[in-house]
Amino acid sequence: MKILIADDSRVMRQIVTRTLRQAGYEGHDLVEAADGREAFDATVNHRPDLVLSDWNMPEMTGVEVLRQLRASGNKVPFGFVTSEGTPEMRKAAEEAGALFLITKPFTADEFRSALDPILG
Amino acid sequence: MTDHPNPTEDDLQMIAEQVWSSFLDPAGIYPLLPALPGDPVPSDVSAAVSVTGAWQGHVVINLTETASRHAAAALLGIELGEVTVADITDAVGELANIIGGNVKSLLPQPSVLSLPQVVTNAASTYWPAVVEVCQLTGVWIDEPVNVSVLESNVDYAGVSSS
Repeated sequence: MKILIADDSRVMRQIVTRTLRQAGYEGHDLVEAADGREAFDATVNHRPDLVLSDWNMPEMTGVEVLRQLRASGNKVPFGFVTSEGTPEMRKAAEEAGALFLITKPFTADEFRSALDPILG
Repeated sequence: MTDHPNPTEDDLQMIAEQVWSSFLDPAGIYPLLPALPGDPVPSDVSAAVSVTGAWQGHVVINLTETASRHAAAALLGIELGEVTVADITDAVGELANIIGGNVKSLLPQPSVLSLPQVVTNAASTYWPAVVEVCQLTGVWIDEPVNVSVLESNVDYAGVSSS
């Protein structure tokens, strides 16, 4: 499967990549995006099977990316990996069509819980 | 300034423990230890995120250059000698983002978290028109680490409310 990792921090993209491996999801094709606009374009162009996106990014926020994707008819499975997990944000994420919201800092176990229904 | 339960040092300690156990010290070898009285507040590398909305202020992490290099190496999974200034800026900024995001969850909503701002090679940092809500000072790999939550005491019109 192809997974898009969208985060403006290269360090966090590296951590997400490492955590996917630690969670047992090896051998997947990983694509990266460094801001919201790149995330939208990469989703359209690379047609990933799953998007793991930060919320707070330059150009477009993660939820703006998700809303724009859904508005254009794109149904890619989409989850957030973000430092913020307020009830308001979880509600906004769910209403926009996100499957899950993982808060930073996270563990491989939390990745497994969220991703097993999709990648397991 | 707002009337609400403020984050406390215990809150910062809990958030820091999660960050250390997940990302900076997953093996449990180099935990963040309590600081001793008189330990200095580092200022070589400072990163901050700002919160605006129902609560206004900043969450700031201050590290020594050595601690910031260790943080970048740990987060990226590389050797200390491989760490670049860009790695340090990215890593410390992300630490501010993670800690700030978790602090924001304790604050009145709605509010918005900024992207992190990072200053390296700083002799000192100064935040005007704020009051310190809480801070956590610890020692990591023999290096001081400081996290502060600073609430703005200036309202939208730029008039001090205290």
